[in-house]
Amino acid sequence: MVTKTEETELNQLENQVENGGGGVWEYLCLVRKLKVRRSELVLKHGLSILNDPGKRSSLGPDEWTLYEQVAIAAMDCQSLGAAQNCIKVLQKKFPESKRVGKLEALLLEAKGMWEEAEKAYSILLEDNPLDQVIHKRKVAMAKAQGKPSLAIEHLNKYLEVFMADHDAWRELAEIYVSLQMYKQAAFCYEELILSQPTLPLYHLAYAEVLYTIGGQENLIAARKYYASTIDLTGGKSTRALFGICLCGSAIAQLSKGRNKEDKDMAAPELQSLAATALEKEYKQKAPAKLNLLSSALRSLKL
Amino acid sequence: MGTGTNGELKYEISQNAYIKLVLHSLRHKTAAVNGVLVGRISPNDEGVVEISDSVPLFHSNLPLLPPLEISLIMIEQHYVAQGLSVVGYFHANQRFDDVEVSGVAKNIGDHISRYFPHAPILLLNNKKLEALSQGKDRSPVMQVCILMLRAVRLVAAGTGGSGSLCVRDASKNWRVVGADGGSKLLLKEPSANVVLSDYISSEKWKDVIDFDEHLDDLTKDWLNPGLFN
Repeated sequence: MVTKTEETELNQLENQVENGGGGVWEYLCLVRKLKVRRSELVLKHGLSILNDPGKRSSLGPDEWTLYEQVAIAAMDCQSLGAAQNCIKVLQKKFPESKRVGKLEALLLEAKGMWEEAEKAYSILLEDNPLDQVIHKRKVAMAKAQGKPSLAIEHLNKYLEVFMADHDAWRELAEIYVSLQMYKQAAFCYEELILSQPTLPLYHLAYAEVLYTIGGQENLIAARKYYASTIDLTGGKSTRALFGICLCGSAIAQLSKGRNKEDKDMAAPELQSLAATALEKEYKQKAPAKLNLLSSALRSLKL
Repeated sequence: MGTGTNGELKYEISQNAYIKLVLHSLRHKTAAVNGVLVGRISPNDEGVVEISDSVPLFHSNLPLLPPLEISLIMIEQHYVAQGLSVVGYFHANQRFDDVEVSGVAKNIGDHISRYFPHAPILLLNNKKLEALSQGKDRSPVMQVCILMLRAVRLVAAGTGGSGSLCVRDASKNWRVVGADGGSKLLLKEPSANVVLSDYISSEKWKDVIDFDEHLDDLTKDWLNPGLFN
């Protein structure tokens, strides 16, 4: 995950690089550090360094890291020729290297040669059965072939061993959501909240899943987690503010014709507070849409 | 309703609505994306639905309800003033060769067709999109899916002589309608694909804002005013 400051820095460097203002190496390093996916730019600018012998030699030992980074970016952009060239260079420099072996297997994946890639990864796993990257590639291959249940199976096995891998839990949750398996997704978010209770992202995601499952209990729980998101973000989460309004409306709908206790669950004060906060945000940042927001909020109160 | 050449509705999509949706999917190449179609029944021909605009919605967690509900409320509110409403749904699958109508697309399509019967689902056709730069194909890079209602069984029930009819087993199915002879989806401006190719070359997709981005940063406008200026 990337923080807002990191994202701003990345975008600034990206603009600079794209407009010929230099800073290519800093940009490539930042992309590597933040593990973001900017394959087209990495390929373009990385190649410009690699194809220039002067620039290349000034990198020193970092040259090989760049070859690796560009190879992966090339595969992501389906520039398999460029990828192959980079891998050849690395093979020459580091024969018998497992790290290069992973790149070779990745190239097989990029070519859609799934069986050969599986074989290559199995061989690599024999020497290092706890290689997290390779296990994750198996999940990625299952996803790429349109086999989400297999991806889920692999990912669950992976998490039995590497249960502290938050990114893996998030990936699993997102696969479940994409298959509309909301209860299973909720379980993943519960694990994430347990391990990192102060990260608002997980509270928000959990709330959205609970709301989607529906039913009074889940709506009330969703509202709690929208509220905790607002708490943890100092009131800055637009999605959570909207969430409160939606929950209030949905709960009120469900408790129509029920007894007073249930009606109290509608918590109209909370809804008004959220609505006011939203109107303030819109007034400040998107004043042209303020009227639209107000009528939307009014329709939620019915 | 509807008297097209084969007795069924046709959908005519404006250049801006069409290009906006394709550019949106190009902006988020590694994700599934969706959007809604905005328009009305043509005042000149009841057999034609005019899709005059589109709103790109999300590029992450498409099957979650809260952002979808908010977006639909705001979009309807905005366009009702122009006499327009949400008339259909657009979906681009995550994988290149995935041509299925996913569960979430069906659910959203079902929901929209409750308010606008005959709402289509438009599915991005990746192969056609890829071939765009090579060919002179003037047909849209999208498949049309129509909701087919079938097997409606009427059951009579009642006591003491008074019967009541209730509908059982009305199964709904979204079917891709092919371009066999009478294509259902027409590009209003015949040169739309040429303009689209131009925009792709100039990387115009970078400027498309969707509802997801609006929720993360309110200053970003999901109406994309000035996108095609």
